[in-house]
This record gives sequence, structure tokens and C-alpha cells, in this order.
Amino acid sequence: MRARESATLPRRAAGLPVPGRPLRPARLSSTGRSRLFHLVLLAPAVALGLFVIGYPLYLIIDASIRNVGLPNLAALNATPVTGANYTALTSDPLFRQALWVSLLYTLGGTIPAFLIGLGTALLLNRHFPLRRIFRTLILLPWAVPAVVCSFLFLWILNASYGVLNYLLLKAHLISGYIPWLASLHWSIVGVIIPTVWKSYPFFTLLILAALQVIPKELYEAAKVDGAGQWATFRKITWPGIQNAAYLAMVLQLLWTFREFEIIYPITAGGPANSTQTLAIYLYNEVFQFFHMGYASALGVVTIVICVILVVAMFPLLRRTLWRT
Amino acid sequence: MSAQLSARATPGAAQRQTAAWASRLRRSHLARRGYFWFLIAILVTVVLLFPLYWMAVTSVTPITDLLTLHPRIIPQLSHLELGNYSATFRTYPVFSWLANSALITVGTVALSLAVSVPAGYALSRMGARGATTAGLLMLVTRVIPGTLLVIPFFAMFSDLHLLNSLYGLILADTSIIVPFAGWLLKGFFDSVPREVEQAAMVDGCSQWTAFIKIVVPLASPGIGATAIYAIILGWSDYLFSKTLLLNPTHWTITVGAASLISDLTVNWSGLMAMGVISVVPMIVAFILLEPFLVSGMAAGSVVG
Repeated sequence: MRARESATLPRRAAGLPVPGRPLRPARLSSTGRSRLFHLVLLAPAVALGLFVIGYPLYLIIDASIRNVGLPNLAALNATPVTGANYTALTSDPLFRQALWVSLLYTLGGTIPAFLIGLGTALLLNRHFPLRRIFRTLILLPWAVPAVVCSFLFLWILNASYGVLNYLLLKAHLISGYIPWLASLHWSIVGVIIPTVWKSYPFFTLLILAALQVIPKELYEAAKVDGAGQWATFRKITWPGIQNAAYLAMVLQLLWTFREFEIIYPITAGGPANSTQTLAIYLYNEVFQFFHMGYASALGVVTIVICVILVVAMFPLLRRTLWRT
Repeated sequence: MSAQLSARATPGAAQRQTAAWASRLRRSHLARRGYFWFLIAILVTVVLLFPLYWMAVTSVTPITDLLTLHPRIIPQLSHLELGNYSATFRTYPVFSWLANSALITVGTVALSLAVSVPAGYALSRMGARGATTAGLLMLVTRVIPGTLLVIPFFAMFSDLHLLNSLYGLILADTSIIVPFAGWLLKGFFDSVPREVEQAAMVDGCSQWTAFIKIVVPLASPGIGATAIYAIILGWSDYLFSKTLLLNPTHWTITVGAASLISDLTVNWSGLMAMGVISVVPMIVAFILLEPFLVSGMAAGSVVG
């Protein structure tokens, strides 16, 4: 029995007819059949994507060239085509302010998160007792919903009773309480702090995963060669993690750029629009002022800006994203 | 050979003792360094998790003790009470909000995985074209602000009578998850060699059976990692729920919790209690599934 089995295996592997079994007629070549199979597997995702991304995008572009107010399909079809939304955009001071706030918020929220993420990843890659538990704890803020993070920091940053002001004053780092969320100058910092806290674990996670696949022999060799800490980091650690770091950076930049759930519940863009990023601005335009057409034009311009930025960052991503 | 060995051994006790010392010294040095990093880790964790600690402490502190210029960082146990929790459960339909969140999360994760696992596999086996497609789609969809997508969703869903519907919300949530999940999963499937499924097919498996029975189990850590990602995003969603669920009985826990802020005088203890209630399920899920995350990410070629 076993002998027959082992005798047929190589025949099957070589594509030769197995004795005692009829040859199946080939309707499609094997590559054609697997290509068809792959397309079948892709179909549900494509259908879902068309419904929840493709069609909505078409509606946005359509709305952006119409002076439509309420987000309503019937109203959309009844309104004539115009370029007014885009011309209004060029002379809108709020748009320019939102662009500036977005830039400040995105960079301010991502760069510190990257540094904390890198630091904690390097720490968690060391050997010390209970490392597993620390890893879970340090990654924990990732699991906190953005809204909860938002109102938690609304309390921590409270101008009179907030614990952050109290601790900073105790440590003599500030001389008076800072109105984190009420002041025009501080409000952006007030929304950046929760953003950093919420997003550093993403960096920790991706960088730690990359650190764990760096071969240990490299470090031993560096030690034998008498390389210092900094040289080891620059020559071994960084090359090992740079792809992951760049990828995490770009993904997080885009994610922070579209952030809504942290800013909106705390400030809704205020005070005096000082925390109104593009994402918040276009939400307010639709659901507060019912300017669907204008908001869509804002959105289209936002996407175009992002696409340009992403294309500019392509060289950094090519190796992780386009790898086969 | 034996001569060499004996030559090394004959100087005997003294040398052996030095060697033992050296090894003990090395070990204690390592241990000391381990404890140094252990202390650093405690310090870092205390600082980074302080906000969560503060949320928990605030949620069990009576509101009268809260509005003070000298908050107690380590509270007196005798002053703590659970009254904020019972008041929260009495005043708000917390259970139905939690149930809505749970249903939406389960639905979102199931639909996202059902769609993106096959897609990720197909993209992984399509070579260079699949890689480019997956990467491009993931980036392009990341570029679309959620606040922009929600506008057509509102219009479409009011047309399809999907406003206030959990099904509508599940669909909306997948728009964010599927592209990233598909790309992530493609990376995990890349690390499963093609030879595995080819061998299975040679043995008479159909392509479908080879995929389901052989490839999917091999990629399960990656699927686990993707599932955590989807669970967290599904549970955390606020933008879509806030905009597409108009009726408070249909709200999710995130929208319900945030609705407490708009009151003129914020009841901080109650708000923090609500925060704890909405975070605990995620923390439990995260602690259970976290091992998948790092190992899954490292196993997949996502970061390599």
C-alpha cells in the first residue's frame, strides 16, 4: 500500500498520468485557471470597495462642482454645474488657516510620537525581567478609542483642575497654570498631546517587529570589532528598521492629517478656529453650515495635496510598499 | 587532542575557579544590566500609562473631591466610591450602547476579514502587479479624510434607508479597514511559500481547498494581527457613528460617552467612569490578542 503510494507521488508531481486514475481533461491552462481563481477571490473586495469608496468619491467630485447644500442625492442631481466652489476656495482665509493648522498638527503630532515609539521599541528589544508584560502595557494606548483619549485629556488638560498643570507647577516647569485648550496659542498643543499619546504605540509596534528580525550575530560582530553604542545603532540597528520606520511615518502622517475623533470632541476646531484642520473644517462646513458642495471641493483639494505629498515620499516607501 | 585537553586541565583548580568567577561575573553583570533596563521600563510605563491611571482614579473619586487645586496623585482609599458607575448605568442606556458597539465591531471584523483575506491572498499571488495594486489602493484610501467620506455616506444611506442602521455603519467602517487590511494580509501571505499550495494541489486539492485548508492556517498569526487592527478600529469609530446614527438608542458607546461632554457643567467622574466602561472591553481584547501583534508583524514581511 505504502509502496504504491510512494511510487505514484513522483508521477503526479511530474504531471504524468497516475495509473488507475482517469486523466482529467484540461479546460483551462493551469496559469489561466489560477488567474481566474485570483480574480474570483478579489471580486468581493472590489465590489465592496466600489460601493464604499469608489461611488462615494464620484459623488464628492460631482458635488464639488455643484452649489449643493444638504447632503442629499436628489438635491445633488437637481443642481446645475458650476465652478464657483473652487473659485471661492482660492480667496477663503479659513481654508488657508486650516491648511496651516493641518500642517502644524500633523507634524507636531507625528514627530514626537515617532521619537517615543523608537525609544520604547529600543527599550523593549532589551532583555529584562517581565519584558512581555511591559510590552503589552506600553502598547496599550493603541487600544484606547480616540474619543475616550480625547475627553480623558480634556480633563487632564483642564485649565483649573487639570492634573498636568498641577504636576508641571510642582516640578517648577511652569510658573502659572496654562489654559491648554482655551488659549489661541496653546490650543494646538492641547490637541497634539493626546494625539501623540494615542499614536506612539503604532511606531513602537512596527519598529519593534523590525528590530526582532535583525540577526543577533551582527551585534556580536560589532562588539568584537569594538563598535560603540552610536556606531552600532547607525550601522546595524537603523538600516534594519529604516524601512519600517519610513512606512510607519508615512502611514501615521496621513492618519494624523485626517484625524477627526481627537480634535472634534475637545474643541470642534475652536477657539477661533485655532485647531480647525482641513478635516474638521470640511466636516463643520457640511454638518453645521450645510455647504455640501463647498466641503466637497475642500475635500478634493485636500486629497490632491495628500497625493502630491505621497508621491514626493515615494522613494522612501518603494522598498516596503512595492516589494513583491 | 587529548594532550591538548589534559594540558588545559592540569593547571587545575586555580584556573577552573577563575573561569567560574568570570562566568559568574559576566552573568551578574548581565543581570545588573537587565535590572537597569527593568527600572527604566517601570519609569517609562508609569509616565506613559499615567493618563489611563488618572482616568480610573477620577472615575472612583466623588465629584466634590475632584475640583481642587491640589489633586491627590495617590488617592486615599477610604475616599473612593463606585457611585459614579451606578449613577452612569442608571442615567444612560449604557448596556444598549455597549451592545450596539459589540454588534458593529463583530460585524465589521467579520465582513472585513471575509473580504480582505481572499483579496490579500490573491494580491500576494499576482506578483508585481498585485504588490503595486495593493500598495497604491492602501495609500490612496488613506489619503481620503473620513470626514469627507461621511458626506456621501450620509446622502447614500438616507437614500437607501440605512441611516440609523447598524448594517449601514458596518459598511461605512469597512471602507477604512479593508484597504489597509488587504495590504497587510498580502504581506502575511507573501511569507507563505507558493510551494506549499502547489504541493497540496499536486496531491489532489482544489485551489480553494489548498487556500482554505493549507494557506490560511499558515497565515493565521497575520490574520490575528489584522483582526486586532479591525477590532480596535470598529470599536473606536466615532465619526461614522456620530454622523450616521441619529437616534440615541442606536448610538454606540463612543458616541454615547462623548455626548456627556456637551453638557454645560461636565460631570468629570461620570465622564471618566464612562471612559473606563468603554475602554475595558478593548483592553481585555488587546491583552488576549497582543501576542499575535508583534509576532504576526515580525513574521509577515510587512516590516522586513
